[in-house]
Amino acid sequence: MTSIGLTPSLRMTYASPIEAELTRLSEDLGHCPDLVARYPMRWLAIQLLEGDALLQAEVERLGGSVASEALAASRMRLETHYGEDLDVAMVDQRYRFVHDLAAQALTRPKTPSLTMSDRVDRIVTNRWLGIPIFLGLMWVVFKLTTDVAAPFVDWIDAVLTGPVSHWIISLLSITGLSGGWLESLLIDGVIAGVGGVLVFIPVLFSLYFALAILEDSGYMARSAFVMDRLMHRLGLHGKSFLPMIVGFGCSVPAIYATRTLENERDRILTGLLVPFMSCSARLPVYVLVAAIFFPTMAGLVIFGLYLTGILVAIGLGILLKHTLFGNELPTPFVIELPPYRLPTLRNIWQQMWERTAAFLQHAWTIILGTSMLIWLLLALPVSGEGGFAETDVDQSAFAAVSGVVTPVFAPLGFGSWETSGALLTGFVAKEVVVSTMIQVYNVPGEEEEEAVATTFGEDLLAIGGSFVSATSDALKAIPSIIGINLAAEEDEQAPDGLTGAIRQGFDASSGGHGALAALAFLVFVLLYTPCMVAVAAARQEFGSRWMWVSIIGQFVIAWLAALIVFQGGRFFL
Amino acid sequence: MLQKVLQALEETQGPVSLDELSRQLELDVGVLEGMIDFWVRKGKLKDSRLAACAGGCGNCNPGAQGCTFDRGRPRSITLT
Repeated sequence: MTSIGLTPSLRMTYASPIEAELTRLSEDLGHCPDLVARYPMRWLAIQLLEGDALLQAEVERLGGSVASEALAASRMRLETHYGEDLDVAMVDQRYRFVHDLAAQALTRPKTPSLTMSDRVDRIVTNRWLGIPIFLGLMWVVFKLTTDVAAPFVDWIDAVLTGPVSHWIISLLSITGLSGGWLESLLIDGVIAGVGGVLVFIPVLFSLYFALAILEDSGYMARSAFVMDRLMHRLGLHGKSFLPMIVGFGCSVPAIYATRTLENERDRILTGLLVPFMSCSARLPVYVLVAAIFFPTMAGLVIFGLYLTGILVAIGLGILLKHTLFGNELPTPFVIELPPYRLPTLRNIWQQMWERTAAFLQHAWTIILGTSMLIWLLLALPVSGEGGFAETDVDQSAFAAVSGVVTPVFAPLGFGSWETSGALLTGFVAKEVVVSTMIQVYNVPGEEEEEAVATTFGEDLLAIGGSFVSATSDALKAIPSIIGINLAAEEDEQAPDGLTGAIRQGFDASSGGHGALAALAFLVFVLLYTPCMVAVAAARQEFGSRWMWVSIIGQFVIAWLAALIVFQGGRFFL
Repeated sequence: MLQKVLQALEETQGPVSLDELSRQLELDVGVLEGMIDFWVRKGKLKDSRLAACAGGCGNCNPGAQGCTFDRGRPRSITLT
């Protein structure tokens, strides 16, 4: 009887052998007052027969050997009926009971009505439309990260190289430390290096904003589902694309995400492919170089790079699957497609902030350390007449060290010590490619000498004014995602010091094919080792041998792909 | 009933969504989830949520809910 006087008309009954043992075990356990006081006897007997280890320990403690022996005897008798799977049988019988009960009590439509998510999924995960929709959304993401974020990139750059640099110089002159190596370290090392990377925060913020919307709305799981299906058809382990999705953000968790694959071969294979997915740290390099060499189609170039990464990963996967990794059939799996929902501002902000914070943490540790080391190597003269922090950069220790590997990159069109040095330091982290390029190509601008002295208040006003202007430009750029250009056409501007120096550098190293060399450089950055932390993760997950296979393999593929782009491009152009 | 879940996964070709599997087995998604959890506890299925990036990779601040990049990964369930 229940407390309100109703007796359930249905009682869950197990198969007779189980019921018999439940009754017997309940009676045996009922001789122990401590157990009776704490637990309903039938419930306790069910849990014990299903193998609840915690309750078994409790029963041994309170009921002693009599209770333990009674349990062991019941189990032994049931094993003759159910073998080792007694718990499976008991749970299965409960599911059957509930299922039958629900079938009697509920009237369901023969064809369940389609939810909104089902309707959208019919289009989004459609066999033919799924991949074009995925590519279309990627296109929107990269237009957002290039066109809409660009005004804010220019704004931060102007603030760091203008007012912030002036404030530092003014502070140093007040303390009598201006004009020396300390000023060079702060301006040419910290501001040029770390600041050069920090200007790309709006780009990453836009990328993380777009990714957060795709994830929070439920689309990201669909994109993985669609790509999985494609990979499965190509004979690859479809589940490999799940870690790859993470690789768009960062290669390190993507490598750890391969743990979800059961087969070690699949895990290693996916671990070798994941670094080809373009991580967010590479984006600043793309934006910097694409904005210089392909200003009118930067979004298209970046989109093409992301697509190239996916295609190289799939192509290499097929090759390895049919050679080194055997040709086993992929394991089927279930993927959860959460219902579509409107992304919440709170979730979007949390993801944007956490991911940007991870980037900032990187900036203040690895990038700052590397920038200072590069500054030191650039300040050390190895030839010429200049002293410490006064030497020409091409006579510095950094130029000498980088020059050693320059011949390797010469056939790719970017065989200069500047780009070689940037790629070398890029092994530490991809953002460092940008900071190194800004440091090595940093030409003292004439405008610095002609700069009009301003007060602190005027600087603040100018910063505020330029922010409003950047916001207005960014808003005007939003319709450009769908091809509507609201921004006034600008006259082609003369390149500033850095842009001009980078252009000249690539032109000189490529025999006048600067744009082609820049594209080959971007392809190389896309395909070679993401960063030293990813290398450490690969070593931890797959061992030293596969770590070296990964590093060397990525380098060879990056080199060959860049060679094809540069030499192939020269042949056709 | 429980065995049908494992059997359906063994026989399926390519990835299948949780909704699709629940329709195929004529089970509510909630019921299917419970069955999957049972098989995960028994070690017959593997749930990607339980094999997430453990943090400490030195690359980012893992945050209260684990690695922020890893959270974008959809949940998947595989036969072991």
